[in-house]
Amino acid sequence: MADTSPHTTAASPAPPGLTRREFLVRSAATGAGVMLGIAFGPGPLALPTSAEAQEGMESFTPSIWFTMTPDGKTTVHVVKAEMGQHVGTGLAQIIAEELEVKWDDVRLDTPLESVENFATYGLAYTVNSGSVTTEFDRLSRAGAAGRIALIGAGAKLLRAGDADCYAADSRVIDRVSGRSISYAEILQKTTIDRKFRYPDDFKNVPLKTRGQYKIIGKSVPAFDIPAKTNGQARYGIDVFLPGMVYGALVVPRSRYAAKALGIDDTEARKIPGFVRAVKIDDSTGKCTGWVVALAERFPAAVKAAKALKVEWDPGPYGHLSSADLLGAYKQLAQDVGESAAWVLDGDVDQALGQVDRVLAMEYTTDMVCHATMEPLNATVQEISGEWHVYVGTQSTSFARMTLTGYLAKVLDKKPEDLKVYVHQHLLGGGFGGKQDYEEILAAAYCAKEVGRPVKLIQTRESNFATAYPRTPTYHKLQAGLKGRELVAMNHDIVCGWMGPRFSVGKKYGSDWLQLDAVDGTKRDIDQWSIGGSDHWYYVKNHRVRAWNHDQTTWAVQASALRTVSNSYNMFVVESFMDEVAHALGRDPLEFRLAMLSGKGSSRGIPNAGYPPGTPSDYYMDQLWISLPWPKEGTWIPYESTTVGGARRLANCLRVAAQKAGYGSRPLPPDTGLGLAVSAAEERQSPTWVAGVAEVTVDRKTGKYRINRLAIAMDMGIAINPRNIEAQIKASALWGASQILSERLTLKDGRFEQSNFHDYVPIRLSQVPRIDVEIIPSGHHPSGVGEPASTVVAPAVANAIFKAVGVRVRHMPITPDMVLAGLGRA
Amino acid sequence: MPELMINGQSYFADAPPDTPLLWVVREELRLTGTKYGCGLGLCGSCTVHINGQAQRSCVVTLADVPAGALITTIEGLHPANRHAVQQAWIEHQVPQCGYCQSGQIMQAAAFLARTPKPTEEQIVRAMEGNLCRCATYSRIVDAVKRAAEIMREGANNG
Repeated sequence: MADTSPHTTAASPAPPGLTRREFLVRSAATGAGVMLGIAFGPGPLALPTSAEAQEGMESFTPSIWFTMTPDGKTTVHVVKAEMGQHVGTGLAQIIAEELEVKWDDVRLDTPLESVENFATYGLAYTVNSGSVTTEFDRLSRAGAAGRIALIGAGAKLLRAGDADCYAADSRVIDRVSGRSISYAEILQKTTIDRKFRYPDDFKNVPLKTRGQYKIIGKSVPAFDIPAKTNGQARYGIDVFLPGMVYGALVVPRSRYAAKALGIDDTEARKIPGFVRAVKIDDSTGKCTGWVVALAERFPAAVKAAKALKVEWDPGPYGHLSSADLLGAYKQLAQDVGESAAWVLDGDVDQALGQVDRVLAMEYTTDMVCHATMEPLNATVQEISGEWHVYVGTQSTSFARMTLTGYLAKVLDKKPEDLKVYVHQHLLGGGFGGKQDYEEILAAAYCAKEVGRPVKLIQTRESNFATAYPRTPTYHKLQAGLKGRELVAMNHDIVCGWMGPRFSVGKKYGSDWLQLDAVDGTKRDIDQWSIGGSDHWYYVKNHRVRAWNHDQTTWAVQASALRTVSNSYNMFVVESFMDEVAHALGRDPLEFRLAMLSGKGSSRGIPNAGYPPGTPSDYYMDQLWISLPWPKEGTWIPYESTTVGGARRLANCLRVAAQKAGYGSRPLPPDTGLGLAVSAAEERQSPTWVAGVAEVTVDRKTGKYRINRLAIAMDMGIAINPRNIEAQIKASALWGASQILSERLTLKDGRFEQSNFHDYVPIRLSQVPRIDVEIIPSGHHPSGVGEPASTVVAPAVANAIFKAVGVRVRHMPITPDMVLAGLGRA
Repeated sequence: MPELMINGQSYFADAPPDTPLLWVVREELRLTGTKYGCGLGLCGSCTVHINGQAQRSCVVTLADVPAGALITTIEGLHPANRHAVQQAWIEHQVPQCGYCQSGQIMQAAAFLARTPKPTEEQIVRAMEGNLCRCATYSRIVDAVKRAAEIMREGANNG
């Protein structure tokens, strides 16, 4: 079937001989077009953490971001996954702005993931709302360098001086004569070959000022939308290959580590089209206990999967239930010696001993899962020793690497002898839930077994059974109150860390996402499970301690879910801050504004610009993950999104409060306004956001309705305001869904929910009015696809308290919990 | 072998009678715009028109399809996006991941064909059964209203 998706797979060749410190602008006389490449990119897995290692970073390899052909069309090569954020459109706007290319001349494609293209493009991985933050500077400079080269070539053809020429709308124009030449003509008539050295030339490439932007800041329509309204968009599930067989998963006995002992296929064999049952090789710890029914048609595969009788060893987690986990968390939190500190400012214990009053509370949050509308699926084909994967995934690179490692084991081959290619497709939802690769492994294993291409589709039921949920969490908080001030805060967090499952952390062999504890214990901390607790309020004595419950990590396969740990930590921190404000007799708005002072560690990193110092392309890619903060004098190519610190958050809160009419309009009975702020995703890559929820509670039923949300967000530069508005509204509703009804529970090692009748996302009738204010502060842009989701749950909880005086310290908040609170009140 | 009239074309479906129409449309006819989401009629991703009615094709089997029924999938609505609902969807830039949107659009099109001047309440009721995990709901409501306008403009001009 012809692939008509705008994200077709294209293998864009790398210009030969490009080194990581060169930026190449070259056109071939053959008319192959001008390759505008930039000579470094995100590196592979082993990210150096020391200065010495950075010096020898030869793993940063040439990358190419766009191609301009002699017909004047520019194709932007997008390695970021398209899962609803319209990322390619935004990235193309950045390039087009500086390249001075007509927007109508811009196209997108997606490079094939292979060993060769990985060397060119680097790691294809789309997470953390990080695409615009990490790409903005280099794409701007790549576009600008392309423009400079084109002006140079155009000036020659016009017999004009470079300095007399400028570029606009895909043309080079001579100011003196008024004559001009199009980019297309330039490429048809001449050969461009120019190098820009990195960093010297690169950092001297003149960029536009914010006020000169024409395409950035314009709400151009998204490239991917028209194919999504006529059925032509192609997702992984839409792949068909000649001769392929379909696979359906038998729902495993336990979420993790069950063993399939025996398979009885007597009944399955009666189903027309049944091919065979395949027990997937789970010796790498992936696809544990997976049995796949193969059939000529998918409905037959589903029937066969149900008809197969599998004898199970439920494995070490087969007895576990959600209540057991919570019990274990409470136990674990007693043992302070086992904790590792993530935040340690001042002396919390001493301060708590000298206050008027200590406010101590416990919070818990349930599991939730991604439940993407497109269930996980993969199609794998072997063609004469080459393995082709067709899938929509958040990381084609990790998909390729994971399958390579798996096949090496299963086929007893050397990884370097295996050729694996990943053909990216659109993702029918991601939310962090498409960065595991078990369907790919299982489909590949089946393909090996039957010698035919295999398309494995998770049914909704098997997709829930093999969900990668957000961990359950348990929190203990203490606030030291003195007079009308909060002087000390302690936050203890117990949950299952996702890092170990992704083999992240020193004791798991890789140190690239880890911060050691700040208390001298040298323990690992999984920032992805604890982040967000390092909030931007300035509290003189502030401590966060973390415990990992390893059994949870494995038993439920804990994973990253939209905003990762912010999604529970902001609920807890912002609910508790509200409690503190009320306990101090202060208005939650006034209290928050006072605490968002921008003092101490909440001041943010100042704009580094290009000061003299050690060049470090390292931070260019890595500002968004928690690594040691840059040393004084470190060269940072672009300013940190933390510039301005907590004061930008305070500004958002003022704007949101005003938009919601906080304190200035009468409310109906049993109705309250609740506030929250958040700086998701990571401490190093905040997008500043504040939200106000108006909620009405029905005292008889405990049901509550979110009437209105007001969201104010400062993301620096608003590249496509209309899309940003859409992302903010929709992610806010994701947050609403989490507090209203989403809940996944474990019983006897299995998740209890199986489809959308018992796992309940928000529906249209629950959607409130949402007022959005975008605050374009002009600072370096940060991500907008997720952060707004983090303020809604706590704002709703705080509004319920304002409405009826009930404080629910649990997410989600069910009507029963509100009723119980009303009974007590 | 039952004959199916889909998007104005006749097909013979080589599948058992208990096969959900969804899988016939997707896997046999390769009309992949209709999506699998839940298999139980809970999410609406698989919505198609059967004799003008919006139906969940994951719970309609081949045997359930009335003889001679006219079936329309998203591909048959208008391939060049000229149906009023498609126009409104693009104008309002509704889709994010897009996976549920074929179903949303088919649901809205069937609804508007019967309810040319919908109130907001009617829109919410009509679209309530269609899940959107990206939660593009605010724009869905705006776009349904806009589509109704476009339809009326078209009717007036015609």
